Amino acid sequence: MRSTPTTKRLSLSEWFKTITFYEILVGMKATLSHLINYRPVTLQYPHEKRTLPDNYRGMLALLRYDDGTEKCVGCDLCEAACPSRVIRVVSAEVPGEPTKRYSKEYYMDMTRCLFCGMCVDACPVDALGMTREFEWAVYDKRQLHLNKQQLLAIGDRSFSVREKRLELQHPNVAFFNVAFSHVPPKPN
Amino acid sequence: MVTEFGLRLAISLTQIGAVMCIVVITVLILTLAERKVLGWMQDRMGPMEVGPYGILQPFADAIKLFFKEDIVPAGANKFIFTMAPILCLIPTFIGFAVIPWGPNWTFEINGIVVKPFVISDINIGILYILAFASLAAYGIILGGWASNSKYSLLGGLRSAAQVISYELNVGLSIVGVLILAGSLSLVKITDAQTGWFWNWHIFALPAPQIFAFVVYVISVVAETNRVPFDLPEAESELVAGFFTEYSGLRFAFFFLAEYANMVLVSCVASALFLGGWNAPYPGTLMELVGLSSWSWIESTMWFAVKTYSLLFLFFWLRATLPRLRYDQLMRFGWKVLLPIALANIVVTAIAVFIYQRI
Repeated sequence: MRSTPTTKRLSLSEWFKTITFYEILVGMKATLSHLINYRPVTLQYPHEKRTLPDNYRGMLALLRYDDGTEKCVGCDLCEAACPSRVIRVVSAEVPGEPTKRYSKEYYMDMTRCLFCGMCVDACPVDALGMTREFEWAVYDKRQLHLNKQQLLAIGDRSFSVREKRLELQHPNVAFFNVAFSHVPPKPN
Repeated sequence: MVTEFGLRLAISLTQIGAVMCIVVITVLILTLAERKVLGWMQDRMGPMEVGPYGILQPFADAIKLFFKEDIVPAGANKFIFTMAPILCLIPTFIGFAVIPWGPNWTFEINGIVVKPFVISDINIGILYILAFASLAAYGIILGGWASNSKYSLLGGLRSAAQVISYELNVGLSIVGVLILAGSLSLVKITDAQTGWFWNWHIFALPAPQIFAFVVYVISVVAETNRVPFDLPEAESELVAGFFTEYSGLRFAFFFLAEYANMVLVSCVASALFLGGWNAPYPGTLMELVGLSSWSWIESTMWFAVKTYSLLFLFFWLRATLPRLRYDQLMRFGWKVLLPIALANIVVTAIAVFIYQRI
């Protein structure tokens, strides 16, 4: 029974490197070169912020047309598209206009949101948008359960340029404001 | 009318107060410098928030530690738990009493001979430092045992084994210097190294102590529980090691003791091996200019430069090296460093013997 495994015989150069701590000196040279060529990769976050990419997916918001009416038509498609069940829409008829619907209540539970953007893709009237806000740390997680007024407020402060309400939209008809150019025309 | 005893007491207390101030200020600087240097070496910035470029961070840390709740864990031995940080701190600070900070000058006040740059020039200076450095291990071990926590106990036990193994190498690596200087007094050892820098004991002619210096530096890194020998407080294995259960001011005491110990061993290393307060050239530049009464500033600055270079080496090693495994630590201490230190004693003794006969 051997107490220690047989060590490999070192060559002369390896032995010399061992007794002069060559490997350690190489490592120390690396750290010293970082000290001399000091270029920090970190940012002082609250004071300086990194530039966000153009397609940054931040906080969700509800949008309005330029005349101040809500875009949302209460179709529930965002609720259906959401993989984390963040959204809950209570749809209702516009009073006195039986053909037109709107979202009577609209809730988002942002504690669960994973910012995939599927609701924005699903929305037929572009009523949802993703802002570039990300500093949403709160002391109480109930503050992340947002209602319709809060979501509209986020949209108001993030999107200063509002989309124009189309002329051909009849006030009694929910018009799906999407571009149909990519849809091939029906054959006659 | 001042009695002689009162005058002596006043002078000693003034010196002690000055040295304590210098050490505590150095520790404050070190806590910041360590985080800054580590940050720079890792392409970070280190603390930046408190004050311009974070220079007031040590004060913020001190105030925070001072006002934190002092928790004594259930089942802890309260007396030893309270005593351990003090046991750790006092031996470290006591060691500074024999460090010569500047040239070996004397002047007289009312017939009392005063050495302004050393608190007490006792003739067993280095032995005194070694004795008290060993006592500091009791603070760590008792603190680990009294906390009633398995992590603290493991940290304390590791510290005990490590300090015993590496104290031996520290003591043996110093012996070569003692043979060359022929004295245990740090003042006399430093005086023996005046002149050009090749008179420093690391390069001194009959037997250069460069191997002893390397053994000493490695051993004191282990003795002060610093990376790569920080097994007693290995944070990835033992939470924080022996001071896991400590908080508030007691934790601050352990922290202070660790950094003061670093300063102490760096001071001893520069006094023993690197010529202490001696400049690398004979005399001082101040004397050449004609301000010989101000040459102590240059001498103390050289001492500070040497000490701070060694302290920088501590940070540099910490930024570079990973932690050793426990058996590697023990094998390195007993099977590599101890034979080198012993061989150094034999070679130095023979060389000095032959040198004296020629």
